[in-house]
Parts: sequence; structure tokens; C-alpha cells
Amino acid sequence: MSSILFIFSGAPHTSLNAQEGLDALLMGSAFTECRLLFLGDGVLQLVPDQSGEAIGRRNFPLGYGALNDYGVSKIACRTSDLDAYNLDPGKLLLDVEALDDSACRIWIEDADKVLNFR
Amino acid sequence: MKFAIVVQGNPYASQSCHSALSFAQAVIEGGHEVLRVFFYHDGVLIANRLTAPPQDEQDICADWQSFAAKHDVELIACIASCLRRGVLDETEAERYEKEASTIAPEFVISGLGQLIDATMNADRVVTFGA
Amino acid sequence: MVEKDSEGFLRDLNDWSEEIAQELAAQDGIKLSSDHWEIIHLVRDYYTHYRLFPQNRVLVKRIGDALGKEKGTSIHLMTLFTGKPAKVLARISGLPKPPNCD
Repeated sequence: MSSILFIFSGAPHTSLNAQEGLDALLMGSAFTECRLLFLGDGVLQLVPDQSGEAIGRRNFPLGYGALNDYGVSKIACRTSDLDAYNLDPGKLLLDVEALDDSACRIWIEDADKVLNFR
Repeated sequence: MKFAIVVQGNPYASQSCHSALSFAQAVIEGGHEVLRVFFYHDGVLIANRLTAPPQDEQDICADWQSFAAKHDVELIACIASCLRRGVLDETEAERYEKEASTIAPEFVISGLGQLIDATMNADRVVTFGA
Repeated sequence: MVEKDSEGFLRDLNDWSEEIAQELAAQDGIKLSSDHWEIIHLVRDYYTHYRLFPQNRVLVKRIGDALGKEKGTSIHLMTLFTGKPAKVLARISGLPKPPNCD
């Protein structure tokens, strides 16, 4: 069974891509092992207490809370991206593993397939 | 080798649909197989049959259609992305009480299961991003 | 009388109430019992928390965890919400009409 690594590399509400990426991940989780890696601006999706409704968007990041139910437990982001936005890894929306660049590369290399949503 | 191609970019705001078509053609010319092309995000806008580009510009929708017909390649447009963007077939137009079906021939509206299936069954997945 | 679309979904989800749910269920010939209600409340709570209508497998597991193992089966769900449980349950619960993709 080929595993899929989903990479989310866009901010949450700039476009609908992040929201549609989560839809794809949830679907993927029904079929195979899926992992999730937030890269670049993607870490902005992990900032808690954002209210998409205030700008006419659905508050879809709430859906990340359901990932455990969907069997997605391997979730990570890159330390240098957290640093770039001065985000505290202990105060994110989700419990994620923070990876250095080489660990990040290993995550990508280990996946059978990669789907990137930015 | 079997390729799955994912097209996410808006045909009028990115190079995604054009590059993906060139790539798909190269896959076939190279003796490989295109398992499926999956259009997602704004990529589904390519499937709108009501577009009327100027005659001296590439008609990218028509080019995808003739490519698919010639090589018998599946062009799938994600249903959730399509509904948001007004790309509807007869069934969906009726379901959502809209005046018209707008999807171009050769394109089929279907679900995200088709993306996952193609991703798992292809040897390579190539995404043309937004 | 609230407005519904051609498939019997509420046009305005804010119109939902328990009385309206009975009316929506009647469209499918369902008379709501406590077995129905505990699941309706569960999916509405789920939606409030996660903005998602759970996939069938996730819903079945949730029902099992919350309401007892014997209820956490697809059969239980199918029996209560005839035909396509996800679609019928979303409609009766006043949640967004699901796209036809699963």
C-alpha cells in the first residue's frame, strides 16, 4: 500500500487551496497511510484562534482537530518556518513534531507519494 | 511508467494548465501512460465549456479535450471544486437548481477518491501547482 | 413552513429546529426515535467542533465510543437512516448538503 505525504505550504485563508487540501487529506486517510507536513507559509495554518468567518471564510482549521479520528497521527512542520514567523511550537493549533531541515528531507524521501497544496 | 497528473492552477492566472498539457503530451510521446489527470482547486476552471478565448490565443480547454480524445485519457474535475466555481454537469445543475450545465466534453466530474486512487496506483504523481 | 430545495435540504440551515427535523425526516418516511436523536445530536456536535460531516467509518466509530459498541455499526446507521445514511442524516440534522463525492 503506498503511503501519501500531504504537504500544506500555503497560508490558511489566502485562497481555498488549504481548505481543499484538508478535504483531500481526509479522503486519502480512508484509503492509505497519510502523513501531513506543514512547510513554508503552511505553518500559518497552525496559528490557533484564527477566525475565518470574520473574512467570509469557513473556519476549516477546526477540522484539524478531527485528524486523530481519521487516523492521521504523523504530523510535522519545519522548525525554521516556525522561527521565521516567531511561532512557539508549544502554542500551535495541533500537536506537531518540529523537524530540522534534514529530518524534513527524510520525511519527504520516505513517502511513496507526495501531494503538495499551497 | 504510469503517471498521474494533478492540475491545481487557475488557467488564466498561472501556467499550470499549459505546462501540465505539455507534460502529458511528453509522457505519451515517451511511450508512457497517463493514468488520469485530476483537476483540483482553480484548475477545474479549465473544464468550463463557455469560455471563448480570442482566436489568436491558445484555446487550452479545446486542446485538453482533443488530447484526451486522441489518447483516451481520463480528465477528472473534482466535484467540490467544481460546485464552488460553477462548473456543472447536467446532474449537478439539477441538484443545485442552476440554469445550465457548463462542463466541456471529455471532462468528468467526480470525487476526491479519484485523486487518491490515481496517486496510489500511479508510478509517479506530478502536481502542477496553483 | 420552511423552504427546502428539490432534494429536501433546508435552504437556510438557520431554520433548523427539532420540530423541523421531524418534518425533514418525514420526507424519508422516518419517524424520529431516541435512537435517531442521539445520532443527530452527535453529528451536530461533531460539526460544531470540526466543521466537518464525519466520513462513515469515523461516524460509526464515534457512535460506538459515545453510545455503546452495539450501536457503532454501519448496519445500525443504515437501519435508522434508510438508503444513503450520510445524505439522509445530513439533511435531517440541518447540516450542509454534501457533494455527491463519497
